[in-house]
Amino acid sequence: MSAPARSGIGASPRKRDGAELLTGRARFLDDHRPEGLLHAAVVRSEIAHGRIRSVDTTAASAAPGVVLVLTGEQAARHAGPVPYFIDPAARGGNRTDIRCLQVDKVVYAGQPVAAVVAHTREQAQAAARLVRVDHEVLPHVLDAHDALAPDAPRLYDDWPGNVVMHNRYGTGDPDARLAEADVVVSGEVRIARSTTAPIEPRGYLASWQGDTLTMHASCQNPHQLRWMLATALGVDEGHIRVVTAKIGGSFGLKMQGYPEETLVALLSKLAGAPVKWVEDRRETLLAGAREQTHRFRVGALADGRITGLVNEIVADIGALTAQAGWAMPNMSATTQPSGYRIPDCRIELDIVVTNKPPNSAARGFGKDAAHLVMERAMDLVARELGLDPADVRRRNFVPAGEFPYRTSTGLNIDSGDFHGLLDKTLDTVDYPGVRRRQAELREHGRYLGVGLGFELTPESSDSPGTFVSGFDTTTVRMSVTGMVTVLTGVTSPGGGNDTGIAQIVADELGIPLAWVELVQGDTDRCPNGFGNFSGRSMVVGGGSATLAARDVRAKLVAVGRLLLGAGEVEVRAGMVCGDGRELPVPEVARALLTRAFAIGDIEPVLESTRAYKPGNINHVPDEFGRIQPYPTYSSSLHAAVVDVDAETGKVTLLDYVMAHDCGTMINPALVEGQARGAVAMGLGSALSEQLRFDADGRLLSDRFKSYLVPRAGDLPLLRMVHQVTPSPFTMHGNKGAGEAGVGGAQAAVANAVEDALAPFGVTVRSLPLTPPAVLALIDEVRP
Amino acid sequence: MTTVRLTVNGVQREIDVAPGTLLVHAIREQVGLTGTHVGCLTGDCGACTVVVDGATTKSCSVLAHSADGATVETVESLADGEELHPVQRAFWDEFGFQCGFCLPGMLLTAKELIESTPDPDDADIHRAINGNLCRCTGYNTIVAAVRRAAKEAS
Amino acid sequence: MRFTRPPDLDGVTTALAGGDALVVGGGTMVVPELTHGRVDPPAVVDLSHAGLDGLTRAGGWVVGAMVTYTALERADVPLLSRVARGITGGPQIRNRGTAGGSASYANPSSDVPACLVALDARLRLASVRGVREVAAAEFFLGAFRTVREPDEVLTEILLSDVDGKIGYLKFKLVEGSWPIVTAATVARPTAVRVVLGGAAAVPVAVELDPPPAGTTDPAWRAHVASVVERGIDEAGGGWDDVLAPGGYRRRIAPVIAARSVADALGEVTA
Repeated sequence: MSAPARSGIGASPRKRDGAELLTGRARFLDDHRPEGLLHAAVVRSEIAHGRIRSVDTTAASAAPGVVLVLTGEQAARHAGPVPYFIDPAARGGNRTDIRCLQVDKVVYAGQPVAAVVAHTREQAQAAARLVRVDHEVLPHVLDAHDALAPDAPRLYDDWPGNVVMHNRYGTGDPDARLAEADVVVSGEVRIARSTTAPIEPRGYLASWQGDTLTMHASCQNPHQLRWMLATALGVDEGHIRVVTAKIGGSFGLKMQGYPEETLVALLSKLAGAPVKWVEDRRETLLAGAREQTHRFRVGALADGRITGLVNEIVADIGALTAQAGWAMPNMSATTQPSGYRIPDCRIELDIVVTNKPPNSAARGFGKDAAHLVMERAMDLVARELGLDPADVRRRNFVPAGEFPYRTSTGLNIDSGDFHGLLDKTLDTVDYPGVRRRQAELREHGRYLGVGLGFELTPESSDSPGTFVSGFDTTTVRMSVTGMVTVLTGVTSPGGGNDTGIAQIVADELGIPLAWVELVQGDTDRCPNGFGNFSGRSMVVGGGSATLAARDVRAKLVAVGRLLLGAGEVEVRAGMVCGDGRELPVPEVARALLTRAFAIGDIEPVLESTRAYKPGNINHVPDEFGRIQPYPTYSSSLHAAVVDVDAETGKVTLLDYVMAHDCGTMINPALVEGQARGAVAMGLGSALSEQLRFDADGRLLSDRFKSYLVPRAGDLPLLRMVHQVTPSPFTMHGNKGAGEAGVGGAQAAVANAVEDALAPFGVTVRSLPLTPPAVLALIDEVRP
Repeated sequence: MTTVRLTVNGVQREIDVAPGTLLVHAIREQVGLTGTHVGCLTGDCGACTVVVDGATTKSCSVLAHSADGATVETVESLADGEELHPVQRAFWDEFGFQCGFCLPGMLLTAKELIESTPDPDDADIHRAINGNLCRCTGYNTIVAAVRRAAKEAS
Repeated sequence: MRFTRPPDLDGVTTALAGGDALVVGGGTMVVPELTHGRVDPPAVVDLSHAGLDGLTRAGGWVVGAMVTYTALERADVPLLSRVARGITGGPQIRNRGTAGGSASYANPSSDVPACLVALDARLRLASVRGVREVAAAEFFLGAFRTVREPDEVLTEILLSDVDGKIGYLKFKLVEGSWPIVTAATVARPTAVRVVLGGAAAVPVAVELDPPPAGTTDPAWRAHVASVVERGIDEAGGGWDDVLAPGGYRRRIAPVIAARSVADALGEVTA
């Protein structure tokens, strides 16, 4: 293969949607305003738990501009339950019907109970405030551990308790390993509820022409949304078109499965006009991203080798949702023991419901928590044995020569060089230098700390029987002018996979990047696909685009041979070349498509639709019942250097290094963008982001002054170092690059703060490490 | 409804707005320029930033009535036809955005900064864009873009 | 909702005479309140054309109620210019937000009220009933409550020259948070006065002994702690909100106070 062109695989051409975004021409969901548009507002429960006695819509119906007020009872006559993205019942768990508006019971403050449609957004919102819901208030439970008590209030009357499911993961005999270990270290990690908070809130715009629905959505998964709407509304899929507009950030939050999707479609149908609903910031902040407690024990030998792991997870998902978010804690379990060689593990998981809003899917998808646990365990073992935390990791990593490596929980890690990542990180952060500076500063009563966090990021998931799909489909179509349209089932919520896929197609076809157009997020135009999640877009979108582009290239070559009368023909820089002669690609395309009969025995189509299934996925359970749902495993090693103000508890990030290995990088600048974004999100949840509720379950942190996401001045330069260990199981050796960083950042910060405060002997047990939380840690051990 | 006069990107406009209408909604819905975005309506995220009478302003925290008679510049004013403003070019070259939703605020704030501070250091840049949230990039590339824009402008 | 934007102060006081109008200055606080239905006034009076944006040096300083933080940043008003530079929310907020507005809004998590108390500012209030001046120390009654009557408008902040060394420290959780505790110091040879913002529902003014052996001296720190804690308790205890519990604010307030004194005295901190 020739050296990469400036815009080919491995180069970093600018984002292809730059011009429209930079000039304000890009059209996001709320920028669509069709003729006759009406606006919806959602009436939400003000109590955390109760039975709905009645919903009084009289005043709202009479309010200015109101077209329609809909209650749950009325909605249920027109729409069935919202189908699950991942049905807990299919995994042996408890389920409940999810409705677009609640009918008889509410289980969290913020749950939709009615909706108003009016001529303006302000009118709809004003009228929504006039809807009166009469409740029988029921006792509520806001904490997962409380929810496990036998006498706890139950969210769903027909369940035996509040547990969606209990699962056990791992193989071997960890109890025996712990019993024979030189040391046993136990620890706890409590991860507070945070959220992804994309800057563009979620929104939908539905319009009907006769019995055909067009749905514009700020959503990652148009095809799944089409299926869900078809199922809930009882409409044939062929009568629904879903168009996902330009998406203003997503991070999992905009995977589909929300009540408002069905609701907006129904409101439009009933109102007989286009209806738009865009949530406000308070509504966006209802959606959680993670909240769970881990209690773990590890056994280790005196040299730092860890021999056994036991971990009990209690995950608080809030109320159950049809969105994929509820399933995230499963990955917290299966991603342990991460990239460490610990054959004896047992992980017990309880997924518990409480009277809080549901968790939505979030970048990291639960895998982040696994790293926090494993990395805390590494540091605790190092502390117990008086070893350097870096050395403990070195002793436990799966060696580079042992891949593919099957973990105790069944994941089959494709490739990696974790020792290499550790070396690169320590070198870049100047680990010995930081340790020297730490010692000097301590003399002056200042507390510098350095923390490491390794992250193994399983990506491009496939969950059998669900729409979490490990393959995708792309069409590559060359027109008579030689221009290429790529229609793909994967979507881009902002990360730039459109640019990456265009690079691949241009590279494979041997044409300039500017000749390639991308079409994504339109169920009428794109082949059936699954959208964006799990770092899949470049693996399976890129893979399928490659296959399709190769088909088209083969056709160009065949025609080129005929036209040039040459034996060996290649396509490069937009020219078909052979025997020292060349023809522009557009001329070859035109020849095939306008002189098909003269050309002869070549089928006159310059188009191919291909699906790509990467290797390494295995859904046949092994003797332990384990399946292997991920083709690729990115890895990264993070180091955070912090200063802790022991008088106020404030943590300041001084330096940050991420050594990252996602195999082949299609566009390194876009990879770095993804990684930095994920790290920033991890740092936010580690230091400042927390969704807080009052004693009645109402959200308190309902704006960006109380839900504190990082701002520019909060973050240091996030330094990136790359290592490339290609995956043997994907088309270009690339691995997912959309999520790595959340868990590594959390772990590195947690360890850095504990390291900084080592003179006090504090033990970090929870995130976020806000100043009050850090000061409390110091107080806890202060004599 | 009251009539409000605005000069938006050099064009005089008369629009009828209801009491309580926010400037951001007037710009997006009455004037029809949707490059200015709504992210929070509490003055925290900065996606609604426009320039009012020469000063960057979060247009979600201004009543349209209060802007009567004002000169407003939006993100749409930056490029000259297809010719991008140096700040726009720098953001593109440095990957200073991903989803682009925060861009109107980032671009206009960056432009205001480099007009008053030709050689900004990181602290100047942070102070300028601390009122603009980005959830995609981790800000590093945005800071680099502002630095590059300042260099190219000087 | 009626909207008026009077061309002068008389017009403003007339518009406010009914006592039911909401005053909008820079709008950064109250416009979001309007948007989210937390206030629903029958009338809004916009101050932006009333000629209240004068910033003049006259012995001390006269700061019009509509002087923006940006204007303060560019001037050299003792303490207030420095406070203005650190206002959260970016230049867009500093371009519109005003110290007068912050004083009138009286958010406990704001540093302007405490700074005005530290400067012994006087606040001039006007209504159709006349004009009065109130000392900053008497202006703030509680969280979001001041002595301003509903028909009054704050027109000017009057500052005398300060005859001591000024120090200032603002502690936030992160860039995006409201201030948690702020401390403004005026240090004179015999007495050090510190006014704390954010610590309690209203600014807390304390008189400290000058530190005989530097601001890190444990004995002096103990003195600061006892004086500051007593001051906060007398003001009703630490201010409690979603960002930080009152106990935390009370706990760190002496630290912030001591650091502010260090700043006033020009001590180089580690």
